[in-house]
Amino acid sequence: MPSGTHEVQLNLSIDSIWNFISEMNNWAPLVPGYIEHQILSETQSTWKFKGDIGIMQKKVSLQIDITKWQEPDLVTFDLKGLNENFAGNGYFKAEAISDTQTKMTGNLDITAAGMMGPMINPILKSFVPKTATELTDNIANKLKELHPVTK
Amino acid sequence: MVVNKKINWDLEADVVVLGSGGAALTSALLAHDQGAKVVILEKANQVGGTTAFSGGIPWIPMNRYMKEMGIEDSKEEVNTYLNRLINGSEPDSELVDVFIDNGWKMIDYLHEHTQVRFKIPRGYGDYYADFPGGKVAGRSLDPTPFSLSGLGEYADKIRRNPIFPPLTLEEGGAADPSQADFSLIAERMENNITTMGRALIGAMFQAVLDRSIDTLLETPGKELVMNDNKEVIGVRAERNGKDFFVGARKGVIIATGGFEWNKQLVRSFLKQEVTHAASPAGNEGDGLIMAMEAGASLANMSEAWWYPIMQDPTIEYEDRVFNQLGSGRGVGNSIIVNKQGKRFVHEGTTYMDLPKSFYEFDPVTQTWPNKPPVWLIFDQNLKDRSLVLTMAPGEPAPDWVDQAPTLRELAEKIGVDPEGLESTVERFNSHAEKLEDPDFHRGTQHFENMMGGYQGPKGNIGPVEKAPFYALPIYAGTLGTNGGPRINKNGQVINLRGETIPGLYASGNAAMGVLGACYPGAGGTIGPAMTFGYLAGIDAGNTPSRNIAQTNLIESK
Ligand SMILES: Cc1cc2nc3c(=O)[nH]c(=O)nc-3n(C[C@H](O)[C@H](O)[C@H](O)COP(=O)(O)OP(=O)(O)OC[C@H]3O[C@@H](n4cnc5c(N)ncnc54)[C@H](O)[C@@H]3O)c2cc1C
Repeated sequence: MPSGTHEVQLNLSIDSIWNFISEMNNWAPLVPGYIEHQILSETQSTWKFKGDIGIMQKKVSLQIDITKWQEPDLVTFDLKGLNENFAGNGYFKAEAISDTQTKMTGNLDITAAGMMGPMINPILKSFVPKTATELTDNIANKLKELHPVTK
Repeated sequence: MVVNKKINWDLEADVVVLGSGGAALTSALLAHDQGAKVVILEKANQVGGTTAFSGGIPWIPMNRYMKEMGIEDSKEEVNTYLNRLINGSEPDSELVDVFIDNGWKMIDYLHEHTQVRFKIPRGYGDYYADFPGGKVAGRSLDPTPFSLSGLGEYADKIRRNPIFPPLTLEEGGAADPSQADFSLIAERMENNITTMGRALIGAMFQAVLDRSIDTLLETPGKELVMNDNKEVIGVRAERNGKDFFVGARKGVIIATGGFEWNKQLVRSFLKQEVTHAASPAGNEGDGLIMAMEAGASLANMSEAWWYPIMQDPTIEYEDRVFNQLGSGRGVGNSIIVNKQGKRFVHEGTTYMDLPKSFYEFDPVTQTWPNKPPVWLIFDQNLKDRSLVLTMAPGEPAPDWVDQAPTLRELAEKIGVDPEGLESTVERFNSHAEKLEDPDFHRGTQHFENMMGGYQGPKGNIGPVEKAPFYALPIYAGTLGTNGGPRINKNGQVINLRGETIPGLYASGNAAMGVLGACYPGAGGTIGPAMTFGYLAGIDAGNTPSRNIAQTNLIESK
């Protein structure tokens, strides 16, 4: 079960984080290797990105279905490959530490199935946590950029 | 222009080896073991070139592993076999003998002085084993699994093929993964145990490190430095964007691979267009250019190790769509057609032979009717049964593969003549049901039978009948080019007057192919490459040192 969880702490209110996260178009380009995405409905979207696993790059198309939308602190989703046999899920969680401090957690869990699964899963073992970390950090950095600390 | 110039060497060695593939590393080890100080300059940021990326199989007649297994072989048989296949295309007949006489010695040497080990892969023999002198097993050698853990910081720098699992050829490393032992794959991945070309280069590079031979990565050789006696005494390389002069007291060995990624050289020399090379993209003929500048005579220039290439457009290697060896041809339920929808070749013939049909010229229409892309057409039966390129059985076909419910619609989609395709398939199917192919003789060649696991014609013929139908383009490709500077039995480069160029050696794909247009079996390129690398290393290592300090140098401009 290749998975990864990454958390960062931000000097921002939970609401400013939710405002950003709840609009997919805001952070879509921050997904590592992002090529394009299409919003099909309130809960469904398709994505194309290029995953870099070091020895090669693989263009992947996948579908994301939002399974829980709990303002302002939790989004959970399922994902599945459109051209490849893999599936998984993930979540984004925000926890207020104070009015101006929030802990933000990103999680991804992806497993390849089918004939190639046993060969792909060892690769996903390092790819999935790396992607979860990069995406969470990218979002955090973007938020910092959008809300510079004013003293 | 040639100018006199004094050069201060940034580095001096006895032997400078350009490249770090199979030919280069064999040369480096042998030169070192003659007592020479060796330095390896490699253009890429990784070690091993195409060799590390490859199956790593050398084809070596009369080798020790055959003897161990009691497989008889003799020079007479090898000569009979090779002469029939070479058909007079060899640049120098003496060198065919030199190869036969020295290949096994090279394998013995590596066995005795390094950790390089091979095994005879079960079920893998000469590609034309049914020809006189051919062997059903023994001459193609499969590198045994090798742990990279002793290589320290270099472990990750040994180039790897992105889609070969860590299995030997015998275990299915280059074949259908449905047959693979996944627990073994996982265990090897965890322990950094590698196989095939990466194991071969890994074990050779371990020997390089054990000998403290210096290797400078990202340091391409750019031109040869010659003195006023027209002797090669060093190399101008580039390092960190600056000139880097390396002096060679005994000689320079060019082992920089082929020129398949240099469009201009490909157009100049190959008799056939190559659009899709399967090797890493650094093989741009740098060594050929250097040798030509030094006055080398050339041979076998129009030849290459041809390969019909396929692509999964979603997989990239070093920022280009990856050119794959692919699968699905020459097995039941598939054919290959040209734009007219016609078959034109025995689809299951060797990868070296099949592309020769791409360049058949039709003088009536003044066209090359089989010019790639040509198309692999297959049906749901094949799709259900085995891996085709990267499409696993039992899974929906990805959206980048053309498919249609009828052959006519498929033909229209891919721009192939629909009537042509329909009538071709009708005719093929009518014979395929009887496991016959009167047009191109599928099911009769030793090679296809071997690839099909010796099932006879039923492994190679079957009708294209179950919808939906699929099409995959096949491109004109190569594993590497096979022509270069003319060499002699010591791997020394010969000039246009037939004399050796003092201090200059070449081996592997950077030199002329000693077997001409022939590919006798798996390992037909790495076998001769390592053998002539071995001979060049011995000769260069034993050459008397020259005084290269403070000489007036002639540098070609
Ligand atoms: C997928 C695949 C599988 C294959 N399997 C087999 C097999 O099992 N058996 C077989 O016989 N053949 C096989 N081949 C073909 C075989 O790998 C090559 O023909 C062979 O390895 C060439 O060896 P080489 O030492 O001449 O060159 P390479 O291994 O290509 O090494 C050349 C090196 O020189 C470097 N270089 C280039 N220019 C410079 C420069 N200016 N200065 C310094 N360095 C430079 C390159 O970066 C490279 O590292 C395969 C090929 C492919 C692509």
